Amino acid sequence: MAKRIAIVEDEAAIRNNYAAAFKREGYAVDEYEARAPALDAFEVRLPDLVVIDVNLKDDVEGGFELCRELRARSADLPIIFLTARDSEFDAVSGLRLGADDYLTKDISLPHLMARVAALFRRLQAMQQPQAAASRITRGDLTIDTERMSVHWQEQPVGLTLTEFWLVHALARYPGHVKNRQQLMDAAQAVLDDNTITSHVKRIRRKFNTIDTGFDCIETVYGMGYRWLSD
Amino acid sequence: MNLKRQLLLVSLLTLMLPWAGCEIIRETETALRSGQQQFLAGTASALANALTQYQAQFPVPPDAPVTNDQVYIHTLAARPVIDGYFDDWLLPEDSLRALRGTEGLTHFIFGADRQAIYLYVDVEDDSVVYAGAEPAVLDAGSRYADRINLISSSPPAQRKSFVFATAAPGRLLSYQRDERGFEPVPAIEAYWQDYPGGYRLEARIPRAILGSHLGLSVINTSSASDPGTRSSSFQGRAPGPRVEQSPIINRVAAELVQPNMRLLVTDAAGWRIASAGNLGAGSRSAGDPGFVRRIYDLIVEPGKEAAFADPDPLGREQQPYISAALQGREMAAWFRSEASGMAIVAVAAPIVVADAAIGAVVLQQGTDAVLSLTNQGLARLVNVTLLTTLLVAAVLLGYATWLSRRIRRLSQAAEAALESENLQSALPSALADDELGDLSRSFTYVLQQLGEYNAYLRTLASKLSHELRTPLAIVTSSLENLEHEPLNEASLGYTERAREGADRLRRILAAMSEASRVEELMANAEPENFDLRSVLAATTRAYRDVYADREFAFVSELSRADLSGSPELLIQMLDKLVDNAVDFSAPGDVIMIGLALVEDRLEISVTNPGPPLPEHMRTQLFDSMVSMRSGENTRHLGLGLYVARLIAEGHGGKIRAENIDGGVCFTVAIPTGEPATAQARDA
Repeated sequence: MAKRIAIVEDEAAIRNNYAAAFKREGYAVDEYEARAPALDAFEVRLPDLVVIDVNLKDDVEGGFELCRELRARSADLPIIFLTARDSEFDAVSGLRLGADDYLTKDISLPHLMARVAALFRRLQAMQQPQAAASRITRGDLTIDTERMSVHWQEQPVGLTLTEFWLVHALARYPGHVKNRQQLMDAAQAVLDDNTITSHVKRIRRKFNTIDTGFDCIETVYGMGYRWLSD
Repeated sequence: MNLKRQLLLVSLLTLMLPWAGCEIIRETETALRSGQQQFLAGTASALANALTQYQAQFPVPPDAPVTNDQVYIHTLAARPVIDGYFDDWLLPEDSLRALRGTEGLTHFIFGADRQAIYLYVDVEDDSVVYAGAEPAVLDAGSRYADRINLISSSPPAQRKSFVFATAAPGRLLSYQRDERGFEPVPAIEAYWQDYPGGYRLEARIPRAILGSHLGLSVINTSSASDPGTRSSSFQGRAPGPRVEQSPIINRVAAELVQPNMRLLVTDAAGWRIASAGNLGAGSRSAGDPGFVRRIYDLIVEPGKEAAFADPDPLGREQQPYISAALQGREMAAWFRSEASGMAIVAVAAPIVVADAAIGAVVLQQGTDAVLSLTNQGLARLVNVTLLTTLLVAAVLLGYATWLSRRIRRLSQAAEAALESENLQSALPSALADDELGDLSRSFTYVLQQLGEYNAYLRTLASKLSHELRTPLAIVTSSLENLEHEPLNEASLGYTERAREGADRLRRILAAMSEASRVEELMANAEPENFDLRSVLAATTRAYRDVYADREFAFVSELSRADLSGSPELLIQMLDKLVDNAVDFSAPGDVIMIGLALVEDRLEISVTNPGPPLPEHMRTQLFDSMVSMRSGENTRHLGLGLYVARLIAEGHGGKIRAENIDGGVCFTVAIPTGEPATAQARDA
């Protein structure tokens, strides 16, 4: 049975385009242009993945509200923010509400498809027993490429999809410098320098909450970043 | 010329005050003087009228024009001793009349009291030839001597001649000469006195033996055999009429004259026949001209020298105003003495009898009263003027200082506000009620407008990029969907081109939102302590890979440069500067990245060879959406250097651009030890 994807987006043109793309990939798509009709529909049945715009017409932060209510209802429903608001503050807010990814509308459709596919894959992997083959271990770091999860000193690190791909790209070949372009390609996104810097900072902070002595991601000034292994 | 000088110059206008004051004093003086003149003229006319009744006392003017034949008999105040000395005549030396003689000048004078006529003669003669003891041989043709003849006549009566000659200095006996020979005249008292180079004769002749005409002849001989040369007080044979002061008119004049006034009465020929009164001394002691007095002398109309107002020593008044009076016209004159400060107003009025002037009344008065009045006024004027000028100058100077300080403060505040693009407090004088206040308010308004405009410009890019993002997303997602539709060759080409365009548009939007992103980052950045030198060195190495066709050199004398801030942002700033340097240099050029410690600031510099910056762009260069690139290069929106500036300022630093020899140098000066967040802008 086809996965159901709900798109909550006030801009009809974009909504239709995304819907067309998802349908082409074989997903079933429900389109909503505001929070209220979406919520009404979700009362009846939850979709398998939700793509939400933050700004819903007059409902300036309607996307955030919707996200909160959905997360209250289901802990593992994948939620993707897709918005024109590119400020760091909005991204942090969205992710803090439990969204799995925060994407700006710059993202290309193939990249979006890849992310959606990855999220479904992770959801599926979660429901199956852990496969040892898909695990990469670098010192205290353990990466499960199937479930797209990261553990540091046996504790889970809650990374978004983009963050996961960045850590994965860095840790796969420790000591190798990855420049920004390489990291962008790995994260399936077109990001500018500052966004990468922000992402790396956020990743470091997430590791730091587990281990204050974490310093495995080194900045190579003028070049990029690399993973330092013990 | 600054405002202070201008106003000082204006204050010089107060020097008009003394000029005006001088004019007033001159006017006052003239008015007072003319008043005095009128008063004197009135008095003189009255006197002249009164004197007409003494017509008999005036000598009848001779038919012939006045000649020097006439002899003036001075009225003597005291009876002189007949001893050959002139001093006891109590007359000035210049009262003596001069005759030209063969061996020098002869001076003589006649004086009179009630009973007698006095004669004093001074003859310059190197060799005095004395007479023999016998008077008979005085002029007998056999023996001659130096002698003086006194000739008297009362026409038509026969003339008389008295001969004064002597055998030796001392008292002498004179002789009357007539047809019978020489007759001694014992009534005549005479004294002969020699001195080196001449002799003097003083004589007293009773009035009774003299006639109405009087003359003098001096005969000088060189030896006893020389008949001698004659020089006379008259021409021709007969002597001229004698002129004497009239005792009656003198008495009348003495009664009429007022204090500090001098009254002279002349006959028709100008001979003084009466005088009375004194002018008094000048108000100023000689030798102490005084400052105020000197100014006075400068501004008051100069008169003739006061000495000219004095009675003529020879007895005949010839001043033009008196001559005019003698011709029937009343006239005034004005005299002044530099030395004594004496000023004299003089008026001459004719004494008219039967339509002819028989004489003139001359009335003179010292104008000390006028003088002292105007003098005081002048002194006050000078003081007040001086004080006023000083005061006005001081006030104007103070005012100018205050004014220029206000203007300066206003301009400095405006400049400061313009520079910081931040109008934090009201400009000076904003509440003032004058034009400066208006100016200040206009400035405030302009600066506010400018600030709003700048703020608008600053946010324009990010707003624009935000607003354009959704339509761009529509375009790109539509294009991406289109790729999955069956398209022919041509359509594929078009979609490909459309994608490229959309992609470029996306990059432009990213650049436009970069500035706000940087601001955001800076607000959230936690400052790290790091070694700027090693960061810059590493980054320089990285640039060599990125820009293969440029050379990069890192120059620094520092071995370490500790800084607190965000290395990523500083590198981003350096990226912008290097990107700029690469754009404006040619392949193969060396781009220098330098780090130096200047005072307490770390200065990062990026220098590239290339064309200089246009001078007018130097300050705007770091503003949002200002680009000096020509229109072809659409990649640049003039945001790169603005981002660099944001990062520099976020670290409490300053960015500047300079033209150096054959290139351009961008410098970022960052104070050390200051945490970057302290200067970070609000999110």
